[in-house]
Amino acid sequence: MVEKKLLGAALGALLLGTVAASADTIKVGIIGPFSGPFALQGKNFQAGVEAFMALNGKSVKGHDVEIIYRDLPAANPAQSRALAQELVVKDKVQYLGGVYFTPDAMAITPLLKQANTPLVIFNAATSAIMNTSPLVVRTSFTTAQTTTPLGKVAVDRGIKKVITAVSDYGPGVDAEVAFKKAFEAAGGQVVEAIRMPLNTNDFSPIMQRVRDSKADAVFAFLPSGPTTLGFVKAYNETGLRQAGIKFLAPGDLTQESDLPALGDGALGLLTSFHYAVAHDSPENKTFVDAASKAIGSPEQLSFPAVGAYDGMNVIYKMMEATDGKQDAEKAVAAVKGLSWTSPRGPVSIDPETRHVTQNIYLREVAKDSAGKAYNKEIETFANQKDPGLAAP
Amino acid sequence: MQIEADTRSIPALPKHRGGAWRDVAGILLIAVAGAAGYFLFPDSLALLTRVTALAMLALSLDLVVGYCGVATLGQAALFGAGAYAAGIACVSGVTEPLSLLLIGAVAGAAAGLVMGGIMLRAHGLAQLVLSIAIVQLFHEAANKASSYTGGSDGLAGLTVGPLFGIFAFDLWGRTAYLLGVVILVAVFAALKFVVASPFGMMCRGIKEDPIRIRSMGAFVSPVLLKMFVISGAVAGTGGALAAISTQVVGLDSVSFELSANALVMLVLGGIGTLYGAIVGTIIFMAFEHVVSAINPFHWMTMVGALLIAVVIAAPRGLGGLVARLWTPSRHGERP
Amino acid sequence: MQTAFSIAIDALAYGMALFIICIGLSLTMGLMRVVNLAHGAFAMIAGYIASYAVRDLGTNYGVAILLAMAGTIAVSIPLERFLYRRIYGAPQLTQVLMTIGITFCVIGITNYFFGPTLKTIPLPGFLSQPVDLGFRSVAAHRLFVMACGAVVALGLWFLIEKTAFGIRLRATVDNAPISEALGIRTQVVYAIAFAVAMGLAAFGGVVGAEFLPIEPYYALRYMVTFLVVVSVGGAGSIPGALIACLVLGAVDTTARYLMPEFGNFFFYAAVIAIVWVFPRGLLGRAH
Repeated sequence: MVEKKLLGAALGALLLGTVAASADTIKVGIIGPFSGPFALQGKNFQAGVEAFMALNGKSVKGHDVEIIYRDLPAANPAQSRALAQELVVKDKVQYLGGVYFTPDAMAITPLLKQANTPLVIFNAATSAIMNTSPLVVRTSFTTAQTTTPLGKVAVDRGIKKVITAVSDYGPGVDAEVAFKKAFEAAGGQVVEAIRMPLNTNDFSPIMQRVRDSKADAVFAFLPSGPTTLGFVKAYNETGLRQAGIKFLAPGDLTQESDLPALGDGALGLLTSFHYAVAHDSPENKTFVDAASKAIGSPEQLSFPAVGAYDGMNVIYKMMEATDGKQDAEKAVAAVKGLSWTSPRGPVSIDPETRHVTQNIYLREVAKDSAGKAYNKEIETFANQKDPGLAAP
Repeated sequence: MQIEADTRSIPALPKHRGGAWRDVAGILLIAVAGAAGYFLFPDSLALLTRVTALAMLALSLDLVVGYCGVATLGQAALFGAGAYAAGIACVSGVTEPLSLLLIGAVAGAAAGLVMGGIMLRAHGLAQLVLSIAIVQLFHEAANKASSYTGGSDGLAGLTVGPLFGIFAFDLWGRTAYLLGVVILVAVFAALKFVVASPFGMMCRGIKEDPIRIRSMGAFVSPVLLKMFVISGAVAGTGGALAAISTQVVGLDSVSFELSANALVMLVLGGIGTLYGAIVGTIIFMAFEHVVSAINPFHWMTMVGALLIAVVIAAPRGLGGLVARLWTPSRHGERP
Repeated sequence: MQTAFSIAIDALAYGMALFIICIGLSLTMGLMRVVNLAHGAFAMIAGYIASYAVRDLGTNYGVAILLAMAGTIAVSIPLERFLYRRIYGAPQLTQVLMTIGITFCVIGITNYFFGPTLKTIPLPGFLSQPVDLGFRSVAAHRLFVMACGAVVALGLWFLIEKTAFGIRLRATVDNAPISEALGIRTQVVYAIAFAVAMGLAAFGGVVGAEFLPIEPYYALRYMVTFLVVVSVGGAGSIPGALIACLVLGAVDTTARYLMPEFGNFFFYAAVIAIVWVFPRGLLGRAH
């Protein structure tokens, strides 16, 4: 009975929703993982979008902006294509945004030209996506982009030998390759490279290998989420920290929403990333306030929110340029070379690659005066392009 | 523990007279429904194409679960084999869609041979676990062989040529959908023929009582293995169809999750009838699509509630419910 | 040699953690013949309760475990009464459908009310200390997990083999109608057995949270692991489950040390090999 009532209400809501859309409305379709194992990241997409619209209004040049969210819980290109196709053909969206996983983006890009729709990627972090269509713009980062500065950081801190331990999938391999390249170019030596299955629950055996390798530091890449907890815990419990083995990683590993769970074990970890919630700037303060309101509980705020926020900025700029008309090429052309001050710092859209050029920060996990852990920015690498695209 | 189907719902006896006509009517009905989908939902054809590909997976699953009594949570291994074979062939230059479907079917059949060969050794729960282990190994292999499969980034860049050199696979997805429906109807008709053949009857007999079949002098394992190969060909065709229409093959096509989803769809529709596979896929996908569009954040609860409601209201699946409503007198019970 | 010892200790801890989490599922599948895919969902509920108790109510760890077990059993009673009772004796695939449905609901509801972040259960001081074993130090909670595993195994063995309830349970499982005729209230026996299994799921969820962190997707994320371990051991067999957990834990840990990039291959190859040799699971009974 309850199900029937709910279903009835749901159907009613659907019908109302389709009626309510008015004539002069620009629709934006956002595809992201709003449920399932990556629901937190999808929630951050939504927070970023809502924060931007709360601060910049819900209309552009008199055209109302309407957001349509579509859920894609895990990497699933077939579903991704179906959602994008329906958004374009049925819901008549003029812009597509979001996309958390690389294969999902790859499934959408072949459609863009015919759909006359730009795609603004809020997350999916593989360099190669940008080459698959001229109508893609990306406001997040690539793994190579966030990782590369760590090579120099390691050498500067007197680290000569590093063992890499990455999750055995696309982004992990990207991180391993990028770090090795940067670190060896700076004069370091990667003594061993471990690739760990994604579903590893107990990392003690990996830590044993780290210890056996006699390296000065471990470079790690794991996707944000539950496994990072096990990894950091194992690093502490097996005594690697006490043995003085340093810990370097791209910032996925210490995303702010995971920090409370990581606890004191995360203190002192060095990570490099494009955004820290604690970034000290007036733009970021405004953003964090608005996004915290949108997400409900501020401790869930993390990096996908800023990708979505800046992505919406790009989409708004596109709308201004085309004045509500559907013209993908004009829209993309209008944002090439666009630069603005994002909550993460100064950023611009590279006219060549359409990928975001931005500062990468070296951060250390520290505690604030209230005892809350945060990513403290200690060094800035200004205007980093995507090295993955620069040297194909 | 023996994992087996609800045998009560499946008449093990040969069909009544007129059974063939009912099948013809059923096949026509599917074709009509397919055509209706084209005209009723012209804007959602990519979704409907996905449904036809997954319906193929559910059909292939019904062959082993419903007709052979072999429980498997690894059917996506066969689907993925077809998808990757078609994808790799396409990237290396074979762009003709029907050839790609054929390649998918052959790869699926080969994977079915391997999988059946391993799984038929065990029974019940152990068999189920073997199927899980196999699909996980396939998944790992696809992840590892990233130079061929693209790994977790997906195998992208499939540029499929137009069907018959005329009809392109484009944004609107008309070609893909109509191809999907035609293939699905053809496969369904062929499978109806297979399961009604002496070979199909033998499979059912083995499912009901393997010891008796063995004592009649028949070989059990080769018969089931043959069904596995057919099942693999069907799943592989579905995988190839998905690859052609999506132009990207991801690791999800060889995942445990897809296998489990297929099983849920099949059981939802009712096993051992072939109709149930299609009904279950359509209902599950449509329901998921509608509720996830209404509330992208919390729709999972609704899908869970649907599954529970189905078990309570129609323990033999929705297909079983329909069959019971249609032919109440034959079972001597009123719905 | 020192490395071998070290790996052996890690393997034992991981295996025992698996055992504590999975044994409840082994009981429901083997003794009650219910393929309870929602097992992980109950473990997760317990994790949330324990996390809430320790972090927000400030109770100590032991009390939190008890609260979590009590709370989980309390949640499971209406579910048993209204949902599970319908699927006792039903075909396994129907049970799969129902319990996956329950899992989806629990995941959705948890996500709705508690959000998608990780929840930790802070350990008491003495469990978070490293303990020096001479050749290496090991976290105290790993030793605690090993001890818990041993206690659970012995306790269950005693309950099922040596008590009056155990006799009734085994009788009910073997032949419910005859047991009923002999005056055993099979409904009550089932209800108690279900509650015990849920209590074990809860205990495992809390104690094992250091290995399998608590988050809304827990139930689906680890479903495969649970199913595989229970089936390899032979559903319903306590020694079987114990051996399976220790063997698979050892294979997993060793493979991840020796060849991490092929860790999963070894694990599933071991599963296939074991099932190939023991088609009914290590100590499974033929039915």
